[in-house]
Amino acid sequence: MAQYRAVGRPTARVEGVGKVTGRTVYTADVDLPGMLYAKLLRSPHAHARIRRIDTARAAALEGVVAVVTAADLPPLDARRVASNRAYNLLAAQEVVFAGQPVVAVVARDPAAAEEALGLIEVEYEELPAVLDPLEALKEDSPLARSSLGDADRSESWAHAAVGVEEKEARGRPTNVASRLRFTRGDVEQGFAQADLVVERTYRTPVVHQGYIEPHATVVDYDAASGDMTIYTATQGQFFVRDEIARMFQLPETKVRVVGLELGGGFGGKMFLFQGLCAALALVVKKPVKLVLTRTEDLTGATPAPQAVFDLKTGTKRDGTLTALQARAVYDSGAFSGAAMAIGCVLLGGYYRCPNLEIEGFEVLTNKVSVGAYRAPAVPSATFAIDSQMDIIARELGLDPLEVRLKNAVQEGDPLPTETPYPRIGLRECLERVRDSDLWRQRDHLEREAGPRRRGVGVAAGGWLGGLQPAAASVMLNGDGTIGVLVGANDITGTNTSFAQIAAEELCLPVSQVRVSTGDTRMAPFAGMTAGSKTLFTVGRAVKAAAEDARRQILGTAAQRLEVPVEDLECADGVVRARSDAEKSITFRRLARITTDFGAAYPPVVGRGAIAARKQAPGFSVQAAEVEVDTETGRVRVLRYVTAQDVGFAINPLSVEGQMQGATAQGIGMGLYEEMVYGDGGQLLNPSLLDYRLPTAADVPNIETLIVEVPSEDGPYGARGVGEPPVVPTSAAIANAVHDAIGVRVTEIPITPERILRALGRVKD
Amino acid sequence: MPKLRLRLRVNGEPYELEVEPHRTLLEVVRDDLHLTGAKEGCGTGDCGACSVIVDGRLVTSCLLLASEVNGADVLTIEGLAHDGRLHPLQQAFLDHGAVQCGFCTPGMILAAKCLLDRNPHPSEEEIRHAIVGNLCRCTGYTKIVQAIAAAAEGL
Repeated sequence: MAQYRAVGRPTARVEGVGKVTGRTVYTADVDLPGMLYAKLLRSPHAHARIRRIDTARAAALEGVVAVVTAADLPPLDARRVASNRAYNLLAAQEVVFAGQPVVAVVARDPAAAEEALGLIEVEYEELPAVLDPLEALKEDSPLARSSLGDADRSESWAHAAVGVEEKEARGRPTNVASRLRFTRGDVEQGFAQADLVVERTYRTPVVHQGYIEPHATVVDYDAASGDMTIYTATQGQFFVRDEIARMFQLPETKVRVVGLELGGGFGGKMFLFQGLCAALALVVKKPVKLVLTRTEDLTGATPAPQAVFDLKTGTKRDGTLTALQARAVYDSGAFSGAAMAIGCVLLGGYYRCPNLEIEGFEVLTNKVSVGAYRAPAVPSATFAIDSQMDIIARELGLDPLEVRLKNAVQEGDPLPTETPYPRIGLRECLERVRDSDLWRQRDHLEREAGPRRRGVGVAAGGWLGGLQPAAASVMLNGDGTIGVLVGANDITGTNTSFAQIAAEELCLPVSQVRVSTGDTRMAPFAGMTAGSKTLFTVGRAVKAAAEDARRQILGTAAQRLEVPVEDLECADGVVRARSDAEKSITFRRLARITTDFGAAYPPVVGRGAIAARKQAPGFSVQAAEVEVDTETGRVRVLRYVTAQDVGFAINPLSVEGQMQGATAQGIGMGLYEEMVYGDGGQLLNPSLLDYRLPTAADVPNIETLIVEVPSEDGPYGARGVGEPPVVPTSAAIANAVHDAIGVRVTEIPITPERILRALGRVKD
Repeated sequence: MPKLRLRLRVNGEPYELEVEPHRTLLEVVRDDLHLTGAKEGCGTGDCGACSVIVDGRLVTSCLLLASEVNGADVLTIEGLAHDGRLHPLQQAFLDHGAVQCGFCTPGMILAAKCLLDRNPHPSEEEIRHAIVGNLCRCTGYTKIVQAIAAAAEGL
């Protein structure tokens, strides 16, 4: 392997000091002169017609500047309003989920805005609501929305370039927003060849990204110049700019988006409330701040979809899959947005199978509409398929890890789309877990202690990786240090990795490089920080820009030193001639002769711009050791190991952090997290007390095993890192629970109640 | 609304303030003193992002009315570094990769400080117990626990 000086070494986050001292500015910290505060009145009903809104008393309250309903907003493109949640700023005639914003109050202080909400009267006429996705699929189901337009999936497509066209539902209006079908071979023949046929149904709930920073936006609109500056917590500032400009028909020269430091995103912070905040600023012609409360964020942001999977598999006695038939139903809530296609692709994408039939439905209901959450739609699909693989192994008396190895896809094997896999590291990850202490010691486990049972489970899963063009600039500063400018919002430590890349290419210590995320007016384009593609795409652009800067540095040095450029090498900020040790020039001197008054050479500005076309799928294999208390039903995760093929770990410290953080989120999905809706469609647990995120006491030390099977196109062979490690976790836990107590739980989260039901200790 | 007069010591500095009786310590620290290191993640005391230290005790400042802490000594994250030198916990969080998005970090570090002030050599279990009220969604806690243990060793 090539020897690197900067990449591949654990590196502390370059922006970390501001975060440990409290100086880092997040959106809620922005305080502009004359800034007003917005608060939202939300629908208490899951589906209703708005009969009347009376805002007079609220508008009369001291401190209230405006009380705004849909009628007061600038008119928007009706087609987008019909299909795209983010264009539904305030409900017009119909509310389609409980928690949908109906009226906005803009006031001089948050307390006045809050008080005014209580003075608004809205009269609703309740309409039949549909809350369960399987009910919504039925012919005679009420429609979740009275008008169902064509779906706009501009955002959900951005997360996963899966290369399939989702078929639009045609004919009579239904709640089906989209559907698709993958087939290969003949499943009936596959079942006929099988020694074992297993049929199960798996269920996964609505879960929330759980970022600790609620959604926040401040819009500074200057009516005189028409300039709009948007400070916001977003993973995709250019996406916000484009959408705002399109929404209000503003030229992009007038819209500047400043994506501030994000207090977590996980897919949930793209473009959602920026439109409403901008509209309010346009109405009041003053800066407006909108920060959601935690309850509003849980109730009315874009969590991950509920899903139901019916799986039927055929297997030979030796564990070879002969057929996989599946129906996946994703509940998208009131607007399209579930990344159903990628879920279906990966449901049939981990294990070789000659006969395949996967059908997917994206269904609308009167719940909050969903969005991306770390590997959108895939952890739930993986819970299904990798629980099923475990059942198969148990039924056949085979080692569950060996069954996966026997069937695992590798380079050249087709996805359900029939696209062949490039080189991937699924098998290598399986082998690493097979060789781990946790897995090897499972035969010597103390399995019983009083009412407690221990077990070990394994699961695999992956993510194909997103793609989007990106650009970057690399500049030589006046003192010979390096500036890097990107437009990508950093959430996972990508700016640190960019600093390492620039340092590597320019032969400098990382401390001599400063990476800045510019706003949309300053920075070269970068796509959304989503789909595990930032390092994979923007990192390549930074590498190309650094290579370009290096060429310019060497070119200028060659002219100055009067030696051929091929004779030059650089190290530690000095360019030297190999043939003549006397001939050298420092970066600092080069900076002077390219920037000083009257200087003879042009400034060094490296440009990198790339369009990524080849995905680099990343896989993770995980093993859990759990302890189940058969009296209380409580599950504790005692040990955990996460292996992942990251291609090349540019910053092992961040890579481990991603693996551990994703695994903890997966533990939350597996054991604790579920948004519970009542019969009327209201969220019953809209607080972090009742929507339980894992705490430090719930999660063990997570051991990480970094696997490096280089990708073809990623910088230094890197692959996307963020998403794969959340994918198999809930299945690994379910499989460990089965190993411990001998019964299968097919619905997550695996709560004490579900354990006790599975054990037959609690009955309906 | 009539305002209450309030005296506070915050990060060693004396303040005299007039605040409405409904305002929380978090609001006063963030909006009046412009110390925005303490964050509001939930407003109901469940996430710990608003943690500050009042008279040596860790509190969720979103649940305390400012008037309840009249006369108190308050330490926020801004008061931890001295003369531009990071506190060992801050340095350990950086070195060990315990910081990702950073939103929970100020509260987490203050929770750790409270622990080490009363128990300079905590076990892993004691560390985990001490930060159980501080939610982190990014790190999975492993590196935070390691950072606190390393800081304890170095102190």
